[in-house]
Amino acid sequence: MKMFDAPIAGANYAADTRNYPWHRPPDIVNYDEGVDYMITKMKEPDQIELVFSLLEIDAHVTTVVTSLLMQGISRGKFSIDLAILMAGPIARYISIIADEQDIKYDMGVGEKDRISITPTSLKMALGIYDDDEEETLEVLEEAPVIPEGGLMGAPTEDEAAPEDEQAAMLGMVEEEEPTDELA
Amino acid sequence: MKFEDAVKKSIREFMKGKTPSATDEMAEDGIFHTPEYFDELEEKILGEVKEEESVDEDV
Repeated sequence: MKMFDAPIAGANYAADTRNYPWHRPPDIVNYDEGVDYMITKMKEPDQIELVFSLLEIDAHVTTVVTSLLMQGISRGKFSIDLAILMAGPIARYISIIADEQDIKYDMGVGEKDRISITPTSLKMALGIYDDDEEETLEVLEEAPVIPEGGLMGAPTEDEAAPEDEQAAMLGMVEEEEPTDELA
Repeated sequence: MKFEDAVKKSIREFMKGKTPSATDEMAEDGIFHTPEYFDELEEKILGEVKEEESVDEDV
């Protein structure tokens, strides 16, 4: 399904070019200016708190850099091409400030060490696991065992009815004679 | 290639000490934020932290 995981060719020509910030010329076109802007932006309390929080929940530096760059692109600050060039210096800066704060981090530049962030993993990391989800898991754990050989398969000895019940089903039990009261 | 993969590749190359050569040629004085600049910045920032820690221990 990878062939469908991309925009339709020429879709940008069909949209109004003034709709979004990234449709207009970017504010920053210089590499050093862009890196300066990002470093200054990261020094803001809310941004630095976000960066450190993400690193502390074991998010890779590449993931943090990607999200910061996406913010800049979506606001029309710089183009996608310039963002890719700026990724290296920003990752290096994050690694320096993380070292300064004694925060352990993983750069995430390896191919196999990627851990995908899902809503559930994020909830678990933040400690906001829902009670409903736990109940669902318990119910799933108690699911009945399906007999081998399909639904019409012969039951095993453990599942078989007791002998007196089997005899009753076969009509081998003497019927009780009605008492006078019921007659 | 997805944006995330491009970012990852860019970071990997920068960590190896490579800089965007075409951008470097276009800039009059060359680019400022090089791997060497960040090495110096790291020494400066982490050096300050170590100095502060040693001062605290002395007190």
